[in-house]
Amino acid sequence: MLRDRLVEALGRDAVKTAPEDLAVYAFDAYTDGSTPSAVVLPQSTRDVSAVVKIARDCGEPIVARGAGTGLCGGAVSIAGGIIVSFARMNRVLEFDERNRRVRVQPGLINLDLSRHAASSGLFYAPDPSSQRISTIGGNVATNAGGPHCLSYGTTVNHVLGLEVVDAEGEVFTTSIDDPGYDLTAALIGSEGTLGIVTAASLRLMALPEAVRVYVAAFDDIDSASEAVSAIVGTGILPTALEMMDAVITGAVESAFHAGYPIDAAALLLVESAGYQEDVESAEAAIRSIVREHGASSWRSARDQAEREALWAGRKGAAGAIGRIAPNYYTQDVCVPRSKLPLALRAVAAASTSNGITVGNVFHAGDGNLHPLLMYDKRDRKQVAAVVATGNEILQAAIDLGGTISGEHGIGWEKRDAMTRVYSAADLATMARVREVFDPARLLNPEKIFPSGTRCPEVTP
Amino acid sequence: MTRQTQARLMPAGVEEVSGIVGRCDRAGEKVHVVGGETLAGMGFPPERADVTLVTTSLRGIVANERADLTIAARAGTPIQSLAMLLANQRQFVPFDAPAPQYATLGGTLAAGWLGPRRHLYGRLRDYLIGSTIVLADGTIARAGGMVVKNVAGYDMSRLYVGSFGTLGVLVQANLKTVPLPASSRLFLAPLPEGTRERACARLIALGTVPAAAFWIDGFHHAVDGDEGPEGRILVLFDGSDALLERATLELRSALGRAGVPATRVIDAGAREAFERVVDAYIACLGERSVTYRIFRFPQESGSCALAVQELARRFKLRSETIIDVMNGDVLLRVSDLDAHAFGAKIETFDDALHELEPRAQVVASKHPHRGNLRVWGAPPPAIDRMRALRGRFDPNRTLNPGCFVQGV
Repeated sequence: MLRDRLVEALGRDAVKTAPEDLAVYAFDAYTDGSTPSAVVLPQSTRDVSAVVKIARDCGEPIVARGAGTGLCGGAVSIAGGIIVSFARMNRVLEFDERNRRVRVQPGLINLDLSRHAASSGLFYAPDPSSQRISTIGGNVATNAGGPHCLSYGTTVNHVLGLEVVDAEGEVFTTSIDDPGYDLTAALIGSEGTLGIVTAASLRLMALPEAVRVYVAAFDDIDSASEAVSAIVGTGILPTALEMMDAVITGAVESAFHAGYPIDAAALLLVESAGYQEDVESAEAAIRSIVREHGASSWRSARDQAEREALWAGRKGAAGAIGRIAPNYYTQDVCVPRSKLPLALRAVAAASTSNGITVGNVFHAGDGNLHPLLMYDKRDRKQVAAVVATGNEILQAAIDLGGTISGEHGIGWEKRDAMTRVYSAADLATMARVREVFDPARLLNPEKIFPSGTRCPEVTP
Repeated sequence: MTRQTQARLMPAGVEEVSGIVGRCDRAGEKVHVVGGETLAGMGFPPERADVTLVTTSLRGIVANERADLTIAARAGTPIQSLAMLLANQRQFVPFDAPAPQYATLGGTLAAGWLGPRRHLYGRLRDYLIGSTIVLADGTIARAGGMVVKNVAGYDMSRLYVGSFGTLGVLVQANLKTVPLPASSRLFLAPLPEGTRERACARLIALGTVPAAAFWIDGFHHAVDGDEGPEGRILVLFDGSDALLERATLELRSALGRAGVPATRVIDAGAREAFERVVDAYIACLGERSVTYRIFRFPQESGSCALAVQELARRFKLRSETIIDVMNGDVLLRVSDLDAHAFGAKIETFDDALHELEPRAQVVASKHPHRGNLRVWGAPPPAIDRMRALRGRFDPNRTLNPGCFVQGV
């Protein structure tokens, strides 16, 4: 019945129900998954609208999915349901070079957009580490960040408007220039629970005239994190300010030969981009601060190739972990920037006490930590130890005044942790928004909101 | 018909706001929420106001995390005192709100104020990392926190920005800050006819991006007290001294090629001169003026300004314009020497203006029949969803009833 109707609406080629096809969509980059009832590959907004209407009739939940790189189980369907894959909606619809705007379909790969814009001297700023495969639609759903959002802001700062299919299958549009409520902002980061984005208008930025990338090495992780707090506290915001510990740099060097010093306990990877005059003074100021904090070495990339190599190492860090552990789990917490040294000590304490190897690679300038916890998922004891470590890190971040997700999202994984940072009244405001857009909870159900809550329960 | 307010209350604490709002909601009384009332010319007047809740006593810094580049303040805190505190610690937030000595943090956010430096520094909404709100039933709810990146749940704080107090009363805002630019420099030049469009095109294309650039026609009293007949251009640069030197050379060369006579440079008082232009956005000529803001792309703003000036001439209205060159906004103030004559013309002018520019919004007016104008411009496509949101947050329409888009 469901399959027949979907095939009738979209064509046989766009509907997958064979177990071997469904298995591909049972997981995203989180550890748990579940097999959907069907996967559809729409080619147009009209197709998406038709799918939603059929799903409603059949009482099937719908989960929109980009590349499935999400780390919190946001793009998997929990109980049957239809996965809407945007793999075939990946075009640039309009490119307005003069006004530095672009309108794209949600399946467009993040990096492809910047490549498309480069010949016009423009780029798309949000650059999650997954940018070679993750899609604009997925980035919008999670309000994705990336190293350069330290100065350019996250996805929400770069989206000008959206075209959305709602839970009834109707299409509506939003724009940040419209009078009225900022529905664009409400939809970004809502993880597909308020509507399905079928097109996004985005702001492009001019490529900077000068870029400097440099690496500072430290003999201990405390000094590196204190240097980060000092740089920010002094009032310098570089374009990106990333940190990696020895576990990560070792893995990266053997995988990519990025040119990182491998004898250091921690590295800071810093980028200053902008006007020639400013990047020079920023580099001098940062170099002086890291020296005061005991940096053991300093290296500036001499050319574009060296800059790219330094960045390739950072962006490929998680992949490089495959060389040293069969599995890893990425925690994502954000703390006030001055609390970074304390947060890193808490990470070390939690992993040591649970006997877990941890590698730290993260957006230090934002206070956004990503400890990678390594384990073998065939070993139940290790799985339990990783869960315990992740939990302790989460609690440490909360205790330091931080949050439970800086940029990966809540999804399935962290929904029950929402009550640890928000009161029932705080969550009820979000539930009110959900009720307006999707009262039946058909769109990506069982995500974000703590398990067992329905709108009426959190409604005063 | 607007009914007169019965009571004017100035709560000093969040709990007190909660008590007042909840009590009014239960009693069926309508609450008009105001801050410093600098943007009172925006939106419709409330349909009914039994209580006016003034937030100006709800002031002060809640947390000043200097090393984190974050700050949290009560909603009634004046923008100017917040900006001065931040400047003293070499930080800033691009509020760019008119009359900052009176404007409040909460009012500026609730009105969704869009300043002229947003092309460079981003919108004020993008600095809001957390908030506390009192809902219509008196519930106190928080969103976000004091971290600069946070994707835990929906972005409620940004939804409250520009909501005009119709989703709840904003009582606290947590902001991220950025380092204060080392210096600012302002350039002033007359802008004779025939040079204007070329000058603006060159400004948009400059290698060093101006923090703000205005082409001003009129507003003599409000901006510089100079009664000269010509239009003029004001360009502000923020940045290091080295960058300002480079910007000076580039700007002079670009304007020179556009035929603009010699520019005057202001270093001391550059930011104050810039602020006077922003103040002019809401400067009213008694009851005989209305100021509109029209949002266009930068390349279209010059021709848009000429078209609306021509329209005003047809109605025998005096027109003055400020073009925010970098963002493309056209600010149009129409007035008449005689209040009676103005009143007779403004509603038909408003119709004609919206035929030409459907998205024109009123930003300043003390005209008694302001409520008859299309103050929000054409309704947004998602108006039904906005109505539903309002209904879910404030089912009794207790807060600012009728003020918002389409009377939401």
